[in-house]
Amino acid sequence: MAKGIRDKVAIIGMGCSRFGERWDCGPEELIVEAFKEALTDSGIDRNEIEMAWLGLFYQEQSAGKSALPLSLALRLPNIPVTRVENMCATGTEALRGAVYAVAAGACDVALAMGVEKLKDTGYAGLPERTKGSFDDLWLPNATAPGAFAQLASAYAAKHKIPMDELKRAMAHISVKSHTNGALNPKAHLRKRITEEEALQAAMVAYPLGLMDCCGVSDGAACAIVTSVEKAREMGIKDMVVVKAIQLAPSNGVEMSSTDWDGSYLLTTRVAAKRAYAEAGITKPREEISMMEVHDCFSITELVVMEDLGISPEGGAIQDIRDGVFDRDGKVPCQIDGGLKCFGHPIGASGLRMAYEMYLQLLGRAGDRQLKNPTIGLTHNLGGHPFRNVASVSVFGLRSA
Amino acid sequence: MNYGILSFGGYVPTLRLAREAIAEAVGWAVPSIKGLAKGERAVANWDEDSITMAVEAARDCLQGLTCQVDHLQLASTTLPFSDRSNSGVVADALLLPEDVATEDLAGTRRAATSALVRLGRNANAAQTTLLLASDCRETKPGSTQEMQYGHGAAAVLLGPGDPIAVIRGTASVHQDLVDQYRAADSDFDYALEERWVREEGYLKIVPAAIRKAAQAAGIDLGEIHRFVLPAPAGVAKALAKELKVGAELFADPLTAVCGDTGAAHPLLVLAHALATAVPGEKILVVGFGQGADAVILETTARLAALQPQRGPARYLQQRRPFKNYTMFLSLRNQLDIDFGLRAERDNRTSQSAFYRRRRDITGMAGGRCSSCGTLQFPSSLVCVKCGATDTQEAESLSGLIGRVKSYTEDWLAYTPLPPYIYGHVEYQDGANIMLEFTDFAPGQVGVGLPVRMVFRIKDFDTRRHFRRYFWKPAPLLSETP
Repeated sequence: MAKGIRDKVAIIGMGCSRFGERWDCGPEELIVEAFKEALTDSGIDRNEIEMAWLGLFYQEQSAGKSALPLSLALRLPNIPVTRVENMCATGTEALRGAVYAVAAGACDVALAMGVEKLKDTGYAGLPERTKGSFDDLWLPNATAPGAFAQLASAYAAKHKIPMDELKRAMAHISVKSHTNGALNPKAHLRKRITEEEALQAAMVAYPLGLMDCCGVSDGAACAIVTSVEKAREMGIKDMVVVKAIQLAPSNGVEMSSTDWDGSYLLTTRVAAKRAYAEAGITKPREEISMMEVHDCFSITELVVMEDLGISPEGGAIQDIRDGVFDRDGKVPCQIDGGLKCFGHPIGASGLRMAYEMYLQLLGRAGDRQLKNPTIGLTHNLGGHPFRNVASVSVFGLRSA
Repeated sequence: MNYGILSFGGYVPTLRLAREAIAEAVGWAVPSIKGLAKGERAVANWDEDSITMAVEAARDCLQGLTCQVDHLQLASTTLPFSDRSNSGVVADALLLPEDVATEDLAGTRRAATSALVRLGRNANAAQTTLLLASDCRETKPGSTQEMQYGHGAAAVLLGPGDPIAVIRGTASVHQDLVDQYRAADSDFDYALEERWVREEGYLKIVPAAIRKAAQAAGIDLGEIHRFVLPAPAGVAKALAKELKVGAELFADPLTAVCGDTGAAHPLLVLAHALATAVPGEKILVVGFGQGADAVILETTARLAALQPQRGPARYLQQRRPFKNYTMFLSLRNQLDIDFGLRAERDNRTSQSAFYRRRRDITGMAGGRCSSCGTLQFPSSLVCVKCGATDTQEAESLSGLIGRVKSYTEDWLAYTPLPPYIYGHVEYQDGANIMLEFTDFAPGQVGVGLPVRMVFRIKDFDTRRHFRRYFWKPAPLLSETP
């Protein structure tokens, strides 16, 4: 009986480029910027890396298809590189590949790299793209904010909450992320905002205003992983280990049946349940020290608090009001600013979240360091609430 | 079994431009049009054309009936495709079987009335014909036509059975009096002097056709109860005088609320008249343009069974008035607003993919699982509910009333009439689809709102001059009082 990957793989080095509108950088520069930091951090020789996974979403508009963007940028010694793509869960998918390879014993040291160069596309938001030759014939040409805005309409209707009240809770989420982002030198958006500014921002897709939307950024993040045994041999004492990485894609229930009411993220619930089982977590609200969740839009973060079982169903608004997810709250969320302010270079985001967990667990998060965190959770939602790939990962500390 | 009109229908788009908005915008250049600035004209939404309007008129006509259609005719001077069966698209949208004979009728404003004459002369036919007329004529800014035209469609179902009206007599006269014309390579009509058209056209050619039709029917003009003779107000008055009949017998030409809908107009006014007619009424229908068609009908006792929820009245009631002239121009593709990068998306249609799934797209056919009964769109090989494989049978959702589950008004996405409203809609038996909405103004959609489906243009492929169609949720029609 398989036991999963809990405590089998250690992260021995991580890097993350500065996120933002990196007009001065192409994907190659971003990859190298993140990799240099991770390699130095790990202390290994670059030739010790045996396999690599590259996460990249918009291949044509960003860096190109296949293994080549990574292999070429780093001049890797012809080691196997697999390019993966699972929409906004792409970075986590790259990490999953590297972690699984190490856990399987296929190699000792693997690299997971996520990168996205969005600001060469010419769009302020995410670029337009085809949904496939059949879906283009009938699916609306929805934007990401429009797709996620529907969560808010369904959530408000289900819980009978006036939209103004929901908007205020969403504004609190954005204010909190901006406050956190201001402390992060690598973050895209580093300006604090007020609740009123969030509420009065221009409407993008009702009821989401501009301040409910995350940054569209360039960036790269990466991790070097090895087995716990190998890390021990390397003399690493306190090591960050992977406790769970779970993935749950939609199967059509949300879009093609009435079994889903549109107010929550079905796949996040499935992935969370599996991740908690893999990581051995039974009381998430008590056991999880901190989280980086997929706050592409404020409403996403709000419903995810319930989908992860941190808040009771219908209870996220109260928890938000009570400051549960603020820096000094019970379960701080988006300590690095989140997608909202650190930014969202799609292929890099999952690894950027892991990077924050890694720094926090090792006590290296500088101005934004939390007090003795032990368990960190990351969450991605690739796609739209009605058709997506969700990932939930859990990271912890293990003494050698 | 008698041959005759079995049913009728009409359609007028919800958007209505106040004519005074036209005068305000272009009166500086053409002061004379200020005199026409009364009432409003119907304007097709950006996603409507002669095909979609014909589909809606046909649905109005066919509602509640179970008869078989053998022959579909679509009459229009503004068919969106010069070579692609326009009536074929309509037939698929109406879920008509593959062996229905489809026919596009074009080239004249009389296309529909001429078809009616032909059908009336072949009154022993065993075939049922759905005659559709639809027009979406573009007009030059500042022109009289911009004031006078409107967009709309109408339908008449003819065949053997229990008719609501029988055809008593017909006449058709050809006279090449070029009152107006549109060259094949031109976007707009070129109209000649109105007084000449009245004196030599309406007052000479039309009476001749009418008298011939009356002769064929064996009746005196004095026996006719209603004249469906859409013409400018002054012309109608002069015609009544010429024919020695009361001007009050002329059916409301829908000038104030809709405008002249071209090839569709005689049938649209007829459909409007039939909705309030009584049994035993003799109705004269006239089509004019390089000659005239005249058809004399007589209503039967069966008529009451089909009234009153048929014809353009319900659509005329469903108004979305506006006064923004630049919005009108933009909707009619005459003002190139900079909608930004998102409007540059390439909407190429994969025709092979469309052909494989054409019934899903044009007919909104989903699949019903024969194992668990769940309805789903699009149909799939594996049931979303019970997982059974290869159990789904095609079933259209186009006639269902849905309920809004979630929605948004998207100001970022490109649409010719922002905001882009879309959301999830639930239907009976477990079906749920995310769809683009149409004909809703901002603030009008809410969770739980019931919606009906309408056939519309989904996207334009401006590079390849193609347009693709699909179904969209729209406001329910209010019942006529």
